[in-house]
Amino acid sequence: MATRNRTLLFRKYRNSLRSVRAPMTDSKSGVGPVIEMASSSLLHPKRSYAPVSTEDPGSSSRGGAVTVGLPPDWVDVSEEISVNIQRARTKMAELGKAHAKALMPTFGDGKEDQHQIESLTQEITFLLRKSEKQLQKLSAAGPSEDSNVRKNVQRSLATDLQFLSMELRKKQSTYLKRLRLQKEDGGDLEMNLNGSSSRADDDDFDDILFSEHQMSKIKKSEAISVEREKEIQQVVESVNELAQIMKDLSALVIDQGTIVDRIDYNIQNVASTVEDGLKQLQKAERTQRNGGMVMCASVLVILCFIMIVLLILKEIFL
Amino acid sequence: MVLVTSVRDYINRMLHDISGMKVLILDSETVSNVSIVYSQSELLQKEVFLVEMIDSISVSKESMSHLKAVYFVRPTSDNIQKLRYQLANPRFGEHHLFFSNLLKDTQIHILADSDEHEAVQQVQEFYADFVAGDPYHFTLNMPSNHLYMLPAVVDPSGLQRYSDRVVDGIAALFLALKRRPVIRYQRTSDTAKRIAQETAKLMYQHESGLFDFRRTESSPLLLVIDRRDDPVTPLLNQWTYQAMVHELIGLQDNKVDLRAIASLPKDQQEVVLSSEQDAFFKSNMYENFGDIGMNIKRMVDDFQQVAKSNQNIQTVEDMARFVDNYPEYKKMQGNVSKHVTLVTEMSKLVEARKLMLVSQTEQDLACNGGQGAAYEAVTDLLNNESVSDIDRLRLVMLYALRYEKENPVQLMQLFNKLASRSPKYKPGLVQFLLKQAGVEKRTGDLFGNRDLMNIARNMARGLKGVENVYTQHQPLLFQTMESITRGRLRDVDYPFVGDHFQQGRPQEVVIFMVGGTTYEESRSVALQNATNSGIRFILGGTAVLNSKRFLLDLEEAQRIARSGSHMV
Repeated sequence: MATRNRTLLFRKYRNSLRSVRAPMTDSKSGVGPVIEMASSSLLHPKRSYAPVSTEDPGSSSRGGAVTVGLPPDWVDVSEEISVNIQRARTKMAELGKAHAKALMPTFGDGKEDQHQIESLTQEITFLLRKSEKQLQKLSAAGPSEDSNVRKNVQRSLATDLQFLSMELRKKQSTYLKRLRLQKEDGGDLEMNLNGSSSRADDDDFDDILFSEHQMSKIKKSEAISVEREKEIQQVVESVNELAQIMKDLSALVIDQGTIVDRIDYNIQNVASTVEDGLKQLQKAERTQRNGGMVMCASVLVILCFIMIVLLILKEIFL
Repeated sequence: MVLVTSVRDYINRMLHDISGMKVLILDSETVSNVSIVYSQSELLQKEVFLVEMIDSISVSKESMSHLKAVYFVRPTSDNIQKLRYQLANPRFGEHHLFFSNLLKDTQIHILADSDEHEAVQQVQEFYADFVAGDPYHFTLNMPSNHLYMLPAVVDPSGLQRYSDRVVDGIAALFLALKRRPVIRYQRTSDTAKRIAQETAKLMYQHESGLFDFRRTESSPLLLVIDRRDDPVTPLLNQWTYQAMVHELIGLQDNKVDLRAIASLPKDQQEVVLSSEQDAFFKSNMYENFGDIGMNIKRMVDDFQQVAKSNQNIQTVEDMARFVDNYPEYKKMQGNVSKHVTLVTEMSKLVEARKLMLVSQTEQDLACNGGQGAAYEAVTDLLNNESVSDIDRLRLVMLYALRYEKENPVQLMQLFNKLASRSPKYKPGLVQFLLKQAGVEKRTGDLFGNRDLMNIARNMARGLKGVENVYTQHQPLLFQTMESITRGRLRDVDYPFVGDHFQQGRPQEVVIFMVGGTTYEESRSVALQNATNSGIRFILGGTAVLNSKRFLLDLEEAQRIARSGSHMV
């Protein structure tokens, strides 16, 4: 696809025009960017923050009065959330590795693996929940342009969060499934070992010892099932938490392919919301002006004045 | 994919190199160009957190210098003025200006003059100046479409503006495709000739450097034709999904507004029908109404299966699976209700206006012969109370176009009957249509009764019988495409501009229809491209017509022609 860059020509014109203009405005502007900024801030008293240039390397201006200024506070919140999301992403990668390791057949107990998985899962869930709560803070009232930006930032972060939550749940469910399969196999294996050993010792031992083996078998299978239940319980808890997060987020996330995902629909909506807001304000103003309260108050004040006047007159003439 | 991909690539490039939070500023035309190919969620991924119109942004006084502004507007003098004002009081940190077409040097000068604060970082031309609705179909969405019907003397400046806009749109298309075409036009149309010549001047003289692309084996072909050569297609009622939605309800920038038709729940009042985003629509957009009904029923059954299994949540795994699949489920539900709503509403309209009956006669008028029988049928329908005014008008127009010269007495009778039956009918409209697009004005063999080959083909078809009475009609465009494919497009009817010459067959053909295209024709093009004949066709027009829009253009042109003649 062809494009044409006109920036060079534009800059050429701009510079030549600036040199034409510069002799005239020299007396006014003084020297250096500092005073330029000062004059511009005087001209724009409504600016909510000082025009300080940020550490953004992309901003061009060499002495231009308008630089990329300090953003409003909510941007800090949104940056915090995106940092948390990034942290959650790296932890998810770690969790994937830990899952894989735990599923590998080992001779040890595998308790440290379990702990690590637990702690990682909890951390991730905590991060996601915290981000989601902070996300709610981003909502703003009022149909201003800034609130639209906030709403859109919120939406984009909500989409990322939802994606992460779904990924986490998928990882957990696959892990759980494989764990169950493994445990069953492992349990059977253990059963078989015990069974074979008990068969081998059958001829040698009495019934008492036989029942002892049975008891230990039962105890072992009980322990296994208790452990398994605990694991399942934990995973279920985190599943529930995530389900809650998902539900809250789905209110914010845009459904792709619907009318809400169309740029022109959103622009129209903004325009009509702003118009509606204006109408509401006007109506409120009118009602307030016509308000009965105002009438009563003014009537009372007038009456007070009349009474005072009458009192004074009475004093004078008596 | 070609058209949609080009516009998307332009937008991607615009947003890609600029980091940080951005605001995208569009004008009333580029908002259509962008919205139809790019979704809001994709913009959010590119960190564009605000989209504004260039008109409203002049009004607001909020300063947002933590945002970088990306402007994507047409280089009109109006927009340049608005930009001047905004550059004089810059509200954003950076300003990146992208124009959808060629800038004049004077315009750059004006902008440079007003950029006292040096707020502008770059000025570029990104040629996405057309609305790419479908992979091989684009439109320019022009408001005063009727101007092409009027002779130049009536409104010379208006016609000049019209022609300029068309030339700009075509130029942008070829720049996006990186091609320079050989140009042919329809001899009988002054507007087409003018547009073809001005496009040639732009591409080969004024901006020949810009258009000097790598030569391919065979140059592509640009064919500029006039709507009036085929006035039948926009008048017919349609029965394939996309065309039918546009004909009965109205499709604007791939959006359907159902608010006027029925009272529906909020999320179904406006819906999107885009072949890129909706797989069901993509596979059904060219199918006829009967098949669509069956496919929708199948889709609903599938969905009910899924819904039932979702009701059945018993174990933890089921619950987990439900929450996992919830977004998919919600999307499917939205899609199913959208299509069901559309088909229901259209069925209601078909029933109310007795369109099955009307359309049968329309198709007979368009495709089959028999003047006497046609006269009978049209008279019957004119007498039928349930047929609406617009349908009556269409029937008479179709009859007039076909049997213009046969039996003038009966034709007159039909005119009178129409005038008496339809109170809102503007008298003389049918005659105006005949003057514009009558048998003497037309080049092509619209009814297949001029050329011996065509007559023979029609007889053969009549004997064989048709698959579906309601979709027998083939637009004239189909024949044009066939002639191009066979290399038999007659020089007499479609001459080359200047000294252009084409050797052999072109491999890419862009057909531009001055006056507007229809979805029936875009379907024809899509089906032709699917046959892999070695030639890729792209279709474009000044607007996308349905019968309502075409009649509106006719009325508007007639009104102006009348007032003009009064003045003279």
